[in-house]
Amino acid sequence: MSLLRVDSVDKSYGDEPVLHDVSFGMDRQQVEVIVGPSGSGKSTLLRCVNRLTEIDSGEIYLDDEEIHGVDENELRRRVGMVFQDFNLFAHLTARGNITLGLREVLGLSKAEADAKADDYLDRVGLADQADSYPAELSGGQQQRVGIARALAMDPELILFDEPTSALDPELIGEVLTVMKDLAEEGMTMLCVTHEMGFARSAADTITFLDDGEIVERGPPEQLFENPEHERTGTFLGELTGLHQ
Amino acid sequence: MEPAVLQASDWGFIFANWQTIALGVVVTVLLTATSLTLGFALGFPSGAIEVYGEGWLAEAVSTAGVLLRGTPIVVLIVLFYFALPIPQLGSLPVVGVKVDAFVAATLALGLRSAAYQAQVFRGSIQSIGEGQLEAARSVGMTKLQAIQHVVFPQAVRRSLPGFQNEFTIVLKDTSVAFAIGLAELLTRAERLYLQPGRDTAVIEVIIAISAIYFVLTFTTNRTLDYIYSRYAIPGGNS
Repeated sequence: MSLLRVDSVDKSYGDEPVLHDVSFGMDRQQVEVIVGPSGSGKSTLLRCVNRLTEIDSGEIYLDDEEIHGVDENELRRRVGMVFQDFNLFAHLTARGNITLGLREVLGLSKAEADAKADDYLDRVGLADQADSYPAELSGGQQQRVGIARALAMDPELILFDEPTSALDPELIGEVLTVMKDLAEEGMTMLCVTHEMGFARSAADTITFLDDGEIVERGPPEQLFENPEHERTGTFLGELTGLHQ
Repeated sequence: MEPAVLQASDWGFIFANWQTIALGVVVTVLLTATSLTLGFALGFPSGAIEVYGEGWLAEAVSTAGVLLRGTPIVVLIVLFYFALPIPQLGSLPVVGVKVDAFVAATLALGLRSAAYQAQVFRGSIQSIGEGQLEAARSVGMTKLQAIQHVVFPQAVRRSLPGFQNEFTIVLKDTSVAFAIGLAELLTRAERLYLQPGRDTAVIEVIIAISAIYFVLTFTTNRTLDYIYSRYAIPGGNS
C-alpha cells in the first residue's frame, strides 16, 4: 500500500499551467527525488502535498485518505517540510524553533518538549547550539535545525524543497549527511534537489519533471545510465557534469 | 533692568506655584497613558486586520484610518467634546479635571493614535517574511497560532522605533486639550501667567513647561531604547 499517491494532479497559476496530469506513488521508508529544470513545477508539486498550495484537479492520498478531506493542520502535522531558505523562526532559539510546534500543535508540556527538542538537535549534531538564535548559526546549521524541527513532529513523510540550494558549497555536505542518515533510518522522504550525488546514492526512485509533466521515473541507475528519454539524459548529464 | 527671563521674582513665582504645575504634569501623563493604551488596543488589531483581513471589516478599518489621519487633532478634540453625547460625570479626584472633557480628549488622542499605530504595526507585520508564516503552518499550526506565536513577537519588536515616535507625538499633543479647557500642563501654565499682574512671567512659565515636556519625552524614549535593545533578537538586525 502506498503511503503517498498523487493522482492526475493539475495546477495552474492564473493562465500559467504549472503541473499537468502528474501521477506517482511512494511507499513507506522510500526516498523519492524529484529533479527538473527551474520552473518545471517541482516545488509546486511538493507544496501541493502539504496543501501550502491547493491543486486545481486530481487527487492526493496520504495513507489511502484523500488529503482534501483531512483537516489541513492535521495533514501538515503528518507531513513535515524543510524549506530552501530554512525559514527558522527568527525570534526563537534552535530549541524554541522545535518546541513551538511540539507545544502548540502536539500539546506537550514544556519539559517534554524541551527534552524532545534537545534529542533531535543531538541527532543533527547541534546539541551544543540549542540556545543559539538562527542569526547566530551558519546556513548549514540553520538547515539542520530546520530538519530537526520537521522530524520532531514525528511525521510520516518529510518534504525537502531544495534544502541545499541556498547554502555555500562547503556547507552542503553537513546537510546531505543528515539527510542520508535519515534515509538509512527509514524515513520516508520526498526531495526536490539538484544534488545528484545524493540522488544517486540515497534515492530509491528519481522522477524527472519538465514543463509540469513527469517525463520519466525510475531507479537512479536507470535514469543515470539508461534513460528512456533523451531530455532526461541531457538534463541529468548537465547536472552531473556541473558537480564534477 | 535685567532681561525678562532672568527676573528672580518670576522664577520664584513658578516655584511658589509648583503644585499647580505638578498637577498639570499628572494630568498630561495620565492623558498620554490612556490615549496610548486606547491607541494600542485598537491600533494593533487594526494593523493586523489591514494585513490579513478582508471584506467589510478591512474596508471599515482602512476608511476610519484615512479619516482620523486626515483630520487635525484640535478639530477632533473639539468635535468629540461638543458633538459626542458623553455624560457629565463630575471631576477626577485630586487633579480636579472634568471627566467628560478627559474622556473626549482620550477618545480624540486615542483614536487618532490608533490610526497611526495601525500603520506602524501594518508595516512591521508586512516586513516579516511570508516564509515565517509558511514554516509555522507547515508544522500544523493554525493561521491564528502562526500569527500569534511567530509573526506578532517579531512584528512588535520591529514596531518599537515607530511606536517611540508615536509616544512622543501623543505626549506633546495632549496640550491641544487646552482647546476644551482641560487642565493639563499647558492649560494650567497659561492660567498661571494670565493671573492679574503676572504677565511678566510668561516666558519663564513657557520655558519651565517646555523643560518638563522634554524631560518626560527624553526619559521615556531612553526607557524604550533600553527595552528595544533588551528584547532585540540576538544576532539579528531587528
